[in-house]
Amino acid sequence: MSAFVHLLLAEFRILRRSWLALFFTLIFPLIFIVIFGFLFGGIGEVDRSRMGLVISGPDGELLESVIGDAGTMEIVRYEAVEDLSTDVGERVVDFGLAWDGSTLRSFLDPSRVQENFAFQQVVEGMQDDFDLRRQGLTNPIGVEAVHVGPSDAAGWFNLVVPGILAFSILSTGLFAVSGHLTEMKERHTLDRMIVTPMRPVALLAAIASVRLVLAFVSTLITLFVAIALFDLSFDVSWPRYAVFVACSTLGTMGLGTCIALLVRRPSSASNIANALAMVMMFLAGIYFPAEFMPRFLQVLGQWLPLTHMANAMRYVTGVLDMSAARFWTTSAAFLGIAVVLFPILGRYVVRPLRR
Amino acid sequence: MTDILLLARTHVVTALRERVTLFWFLVFPIFLLTILALIFGRIGEESEIHFDIALVNRDVGAPADGFSARIASIFVEMSTAKESGERPLFSLHAPSLDESHDDFLAREEQALRRGELAAIVVIPEGFHEAVLATAMAPIMPDPPSFEVLMSESDVASEMAAGIIEQIIVEVDREILVQMGRFDESAAIGRAQVWVGEDAADEVRYVDFLLPGVILMGFFTNGLFGVPGAILFNRDRKVLRRYWVTALPVGRYLVGFSLGHLALCVMQFVLLYLLGRFAFGARVSFARLDAALLLVLSAVTFMAFGFLIASLARTANAGMAIANVLNMPMMFLSGLFFPTGGLPTFLAVFAAVNPVTYLVEGLRTSVGVQTASTSPILLLAVPLGWIALSAAVASRRLRWDVAR
Repeated sequence: MSAFVHLLLAEFRILRRSWLALFFTLIFPLIFIVIFGFLFGGIGEVDRSRMGLVISGPDGELLESVIGDAGTMEIVRYEAVEDLSTDVGERVVDFGLAWDGSTLRSFLDPSRVQENFAFQQVVEGMQDDFDLRRQGLTNPIGVEAVHVGPSDAAGWFNLVVPGILAFSILSTGLFAVSGHLTEMKERHTLDRMIVTPMRPVALLAAIASVRLVLAFVSTLITLFVAIALFDLSFDVSWPRYAVFVACSTLGTMGLGTCIALLVRRPSSASNIANALAMVMMFLAGIYFPAEFMPRFLQVLGQWLPLTHMANAMRYVTGVLDMSAARFWTTSAAFLGIAVVLFPILGRYVVRPLRR
Repeated sequence: MTDILLLARTHVVTALRERVTLFWFLVFPIFLLTILALIFGRIGEESEIHFDIALVNRDVGAPADGFSARIASIFVEMSTAKESGERPLFSLHAPSLDESHDDFLAREEQALRRGELAAIVVIPEGFHEAVLATAMAPIMPDPPSFEVLMSESDVASEMAAGIIEQIIVEVDREILVQMGRFDESAAIGRAQVWVGEDAADEVRYVDFLLPGVILMGFFTNGLFGVPGAILFNRDRKVLRRYWVTALPVGRYLVGFSLGHLALCVMQFVLLYLLGRFAFGARVSFARLDAALLLVLSAVTFMAFGFLIASLARTANAGMAIANVLNMPMMFLSGLFFPTGGLPTFLAVFAAVNPVTYLVEGLRTSVGVQTASTSPILLLAVPLGWIALSAAVASRRLRWDVAR
């Protein structure tokens, strides 16, 4: 126990001096949140777009009322279709609509491949509505969308933020033990420690404990910055949040210990951890729903730890429901990985570099 | 000349021997192209998207050929595969005969909250009568609605709700036509105009994506590959062995740069072939302006790599700087996602980011984007970065470890 306490203090001092580790654990997730928050915030949100409009036929007022009911997008009026077309091409407006009394034409920039789908949907809705209203009709059947999600202030980014928290835990966990151990080997500090009666698992436990605290603080900072910057709201269950962050960080550190078995240098450990985390990020439904992926990738995604980490983080932050049994099983599984892997792998990874 | 070619070959062979290099320079761009083409290339193609939805028809007293049954049958039809092996748009969950609607709804709502279901359609009691009354009324009142339960925090759920709404708009029109209320001969004409010089058709996502992924490959190659090779070779004293020969730094640089450009060519060929033959990309780079922009991109990112190498004191520090710059430069450039509407501090970053101009220039040159920046600026910013990087590197880059 005394060895563990001394190792803990030493690890704490090492971490305090390591600006790189502090930066990548505390600041890097914030960069993710800021970039993706602002970047994805506007994609496909037609309400924030600018629509160019040319009306040169009858029923102009009716069309304007249809457009008014379609959303809160900004309308830019034009006298001539040619001017509208030019401005759509030069992206002065996002898309355009022209009514000449018989045809309602939409103008789209073909290179806006990621946004045109949303623009087309809005235009189609306006065309349908205008068509009916011109004949004094309304839809005989209405559709009322009722939100039944777990959070009142739910939005797309509410779902992404816990995913980014899970991703940041994964990348921290995968690299924490593997990076630190390989660095100790490279600098030959492990050679000096290995000749003492220190038990390998005590060293792993000390590294894991210090990095666990750092990862916990990092997720809190990231969460609060996201809330403050993007006016998000989460219904966080703090006890479950604490349990899950701890279990998942330890579990991913356990998985990271496997990386330490395979590599000799910190840069290799970092590269493998990065590569695994990036591949998982795309397949785990962090930035886009799994439903968009082909079936075989959806099945593959279900086998990735990040998928379950993201869902559990969404559950503890109140944006996705999950049965209590599933949550505790997921947490226990991650804790189990750490409990099993640390003692087993400790004796193999806590050994000096082969000369 | 032989020494330069030997150095170029050494750089290529060393890079290809490193499994990590192979991953980031070849495997990852191929993975990204594959995954993004598979996911975003199919948005809007209903046959490729699939949702689990639930349907509850509470209007049990309505006639079998009434509106309630008709709507229910439309969802049943859309959850049946038209051809064997095809996946229908919906998988439909419906209550079993011995299950109450309330129990079924409670269970499915739970699934919706857990993200296991995209939407629940609830047809209310008396729906058929209400629709009939509305459709027959001389002045149509507010229409009777059925509920679509969905989760606003789930993009898939929102998308499913949108599709359900579109389906009902079609049904609405059919009903009005059948009841003689909607005069199809007086319907408005509809047309979609693609704006641009050669805009005969919509740009396909894979054609838009491919130039971006190729540039991303060049970018990671320059950002990580150049400082990695220079700094690791310097720190491990490999470079020192060169300097004890008659080889001047200038010739080493030329050989290194040739090797780097050869790696970029390999990357380009592999990604282009994958895009063309695996995903049917039709975009053509066989144009002088596109070829020049590809060369300019490779040189800009290589120069950027030298800039990082000259700012970092060790190889690990170089990799850390590259890691910090990688994400912001890649994502705040329009490489994968549009950057319109960014706040000022991020817009400034995007405006000085050379990737922004190179990707716009390349996409414009191959005809998948309309240029919104002047051609002079498209060239001036990358050239400015090359000049700045060369100036800083020539003053600061150390070619040997301190003794």
